[in-house]
Amino acid sequence: MYKYVIRRILIFIPMLFFLTVIVFILAKSAPGDPFSTMLDPNVDQQVFEERREALGLNDSLPVQYVRWISSVIQGDFGQSLVYNGREVSELINDRFMNTIYLGLVALFFTLIVAIPIGIYSAKNPYSPLDYFATGFGFLGLAIPNFFFGLIAIYVFAIHLGWFPAQGTVSNPNISGFQEFLDRIHHMILPGITLGLAGTATYMRYMRSEVLDVLGSDYVRTAKAKGMTDRNVLYKHTLRNALIPIITLMGFEFGVLVSGAVITEQVFNYPGLGTLFIDSTINRDYPVVMALCLIFGAFILVGNLLADIFYSVVDPRIRYD
Amino acid sequence: MKKKFWLISLMMVMVAFLLVACNTGEQSTQSDGQDKSDTTETPSDNGGDSGEDHEDSSDDGPVKGGTIVGAMHTAPSGVFNPIFYSETYEANILDFTHEALVGQNNSLEFIPELAYDWEINDDQTAITFFLEEGVKWHDGEAFTADDVVFTYQTIADPNYTEAGGIRTEYVTPLKGYQEYVNGETDEFEGVVAEDDYTVTFYFEEPNVNPLYYASFPIIPEHKFAGVDVMDMPSHPATLDPGEVVGTGPFVFTDMVEREQYILTANEDYWQGRPYLDQIIWRIVDQSVMTGLLETGEIDFIADPEGVAPADYETVKGFGNIEIIEQTDFGYQLMGFKLNYRTPEDAEAGKINPDNWVENPDVADQKVRQAIAHAINRPGLVQGLLYGRGSVINAPIAQQFWAYTEDVPSYDYDPETAARMLDEAGYVDADGDGWRDFPNGDEWVLDLAYPTGNKLRERSAPVLEENLEAVGINVNLHPPKEFSAYLDDIFYNDTPDKKVDLYLLGWSLSSGDPDPSGLWNIEAQYNISRWNNAESDALIQKALQTPEAFDQDFRIDVYHEWQNLFATDLPAVLLYAQNKIYAFNDRLRGVDPLPYSFINNPHLWWVTDGK
Repeated sequence: MYKYVIRRILIFIPMLFFLTVIVFILAKSAPGDPFSTMLDPNVDQQVFEERREALGLNDSLPVQYVRWISSVIQGDFGQSLVYNGREVSELINDRFMNTIYLGLVALFFTLIVAIPIGIYSAKNPYSPLDYFATGFGFLGLAIPNFFFGLIAIYVFAIHLGWFPAQGTVSNPNISGFQEFLDRIHHMILPGITLGLAGTATYMRYMRSEVLDVLGSDYVRTAKAKGMTDRNVLYKHTLRNALIPIITLMGFEFGVLVSGAVITEQVFNYPGLGTLFIDSTINRDYPVVMALCLIFGAFILVGNLLADIFYSVVDPRIRYD
Repeated sequence: MKKKFWLISLMMVMVAFLLVACNTGEQSTQSDGQDKSDTTETPSDNGGDSGEDHEDSSDDGPVKGGTIVGAMHTAPSGVFNPIFYSETYEANILDFTHEALVGQNNSLEFIPELAYDWEINDDQTAITFFLEEGVKWHDGEAFTADDVVFTYQTIADPNYTEAGGIRTEYVTPLKGYQEYVNGETDEFEGVVAEDDYTVTFYFEEPNVNPLYYASFPIIPEHKFAGVDVMDMPSHPATLDPGEVVGTGPFVFTDMVEREQYILTANEDYWQGRPYLDQIIWRIVDQSVMTGLLETGEIDFIADPEGVAPADYETVKGFGNIEIIEQTDFGYQLMGFKLNYRTPEDAEAGKINPDNWVENPDVADQKVRQAIAHAINRPGLVQGLLYGRGSVINAPIAQQFWAYTEDVPSYDYDPETAARMLDEAGYVDADGDGWRDFPNGDEWVLDLAYPTGNKLRERSAPVLEENLEAVGINVNLHPPKEFSAYLDDIFYNDTPDKKVDLYLLGWSLSSGDPDPSGLWNIEAQYNISRWNNAESDALIQKALQTPEAFDQDFRIDVYHEWQNLFATDLPAVLLYAQNKIYAFNDRLRGVDPLPYSFINNPHLWWVTDGK
């Protein structure tokens, strides 16, 4: 097991390396650079040319890549080209936790809705509630995120005034527990919005897995031995039904970090998703590269975690 | 056993989340009450005012206290230093915190700000400013002429552009700039402090508009003294609230990055303490802005985006919102790509009119005029802008003394357009339904446009339709992302890009109407590559000293130039959009300038201040 984990982690290194090479080539082959959209009749293009020269944007691609990778190895992601003088690590730091929190809240909403309903639907297939849940789930999948977000803002923030409409905190001067509560309060609407789409997926998986397991031989045996339905469900069925959910969550782990661009935008929730889009549009290469590296690492780690959890949930799965 | 532990801990994590969720429930009911009281205040406030006439209730006079919230949809990138910022979003904050020697009034004349008076010498090569005494920086230090010298000297520094600064236009005409920026001397002769409260700007050559160069915000020397210019953009006095120091009516005290930017009244402001206690900028997604304006959660929507034309009626319907609509500085155009550059010149970044390759597709002046007649510009203003804009015919901002309506205008008239094309010989020669070149060759106009500006995006198919209606075969390119688009029309505008018509918008400076930056033959931003010697001569003439010291002389020349532009037509000006400012009617004392909502904010006050 430990050998397996270490081997997997060692494989990450070349994978991440190739990821950065590919992203670097792709990012650089897009036309333009951070200065190409700054059109100002009062500013001579020469000024931007000097900036390009100073930042090394005129050097050949391999030279630029080697410069970038060697400073990354020393733990320096460099400076943003657009946010004049800001360290990339500082820019990402500011938003990293926002994104993680939002992702967790969304996942939490997804799970507390999807798992119980999935189980119920499986136990009572083709019941009215099953149909309702299925319909509701697909509706959730079908409604675009931004639309649901806007509706949520108009209903719950603007008209009912239950939740704040925008941002992560209402006021910079609060701290401690009060700040914690305030932040949670701000996360509920975007969290639900973000979690909505996942709900249907998890629900369907849960339903079909539980149904599957309920029909299997060992469940029949357990019932034959006189176990109650409840015990059958919680002791035997759930554990086996959780495997695909864990796979999904493993993938989700990467998605969690890459952020939810549209939800972040609608709720003006400063996270990595909007940073990624902005920096791509602005050709802010150092930020794009750093984010890709982080996203890549998280997706790899997420998959690894999923694999490890398999063997925890299902002892038949072993890694050597 | 070990495995069970995993499962249990997983469950505990989930239970912990449930507990958190319970807490949030309580919290939401608490602030629910708060929000309610906020929203009930606004309508009652509105009812008391009886309609939109706010003058009658202002007999009580301004009240001290209160906080207002403004909204913009994009966060500043975080460089709160006038000499290094490059976006309008930072300007929204710096306009409250920093001041220049001179400001501008409603007629765009320069008026005293930190300088109460000035003297210009006869040949306009030197201008001496007399500074207000007793002005203090936000941290209590005195503002003196040395700060002025320091500001300009920093912009003139040899490393300034390398450090990321782009404001060199304010120092290039100053005396000795070239020597200083090239490192030939350590003495910058351009701006000299005579004493603590007198400072003189010297120009290399007689200058037509010397006050413009003194309209740049001043930064505090004591904060940056000894800091290498390369380190200034990352200095705390550039980045951190509380450290950013100006002389303006409000102090930038706090922020939640990308969410809120808090400006607090400057108690010692030299023109008197502002009425308001605080101004908070909140970053709000555009789609919910008007909703929050209605509930009173935000008080004003101003630059750079304002209220969208489509939302005008909705916002007006709220009842508690004042709207100010004024012409924006700028226009959208459909340019004719008159000349291309050779690949060699484009590669080298050279503008060499001798090498330009003429584009036969739009080379005929008569054809360009016909195209202008074919375009339904009033229709664009009505349809896209809901009437919140105007059709213009000359490329100088309408607010300027230099602007004139008296130029050839091109009414929407497809019949005239068709007739003019017939006369020019552009008729359908091969019977395919489209007009051809006079010599019978196939004539296709390629129209390119970028994504980004939604209104502009929507105008492209309309233009295609208008032109096709008079028999012109238009090849509408798929829209490109702005960088890629600029590569086609601007950075590498070679013949193989096959662009005949391009869409673009320009925001114009409010400082001076001189159009040379956009329309001079060798101007980089002359994207049409308009090669008209007469135009260059006129633009030059308008700046010719000493005649140009007389504004009437410049007016005449600019009128002549605008006529030439409208006749030769390197571009069809499609529309000038109106800027729509909206604010809650509890906010009083708002008096926007033609180019900015923020004017004398120390005189803003709210009716419910305490």
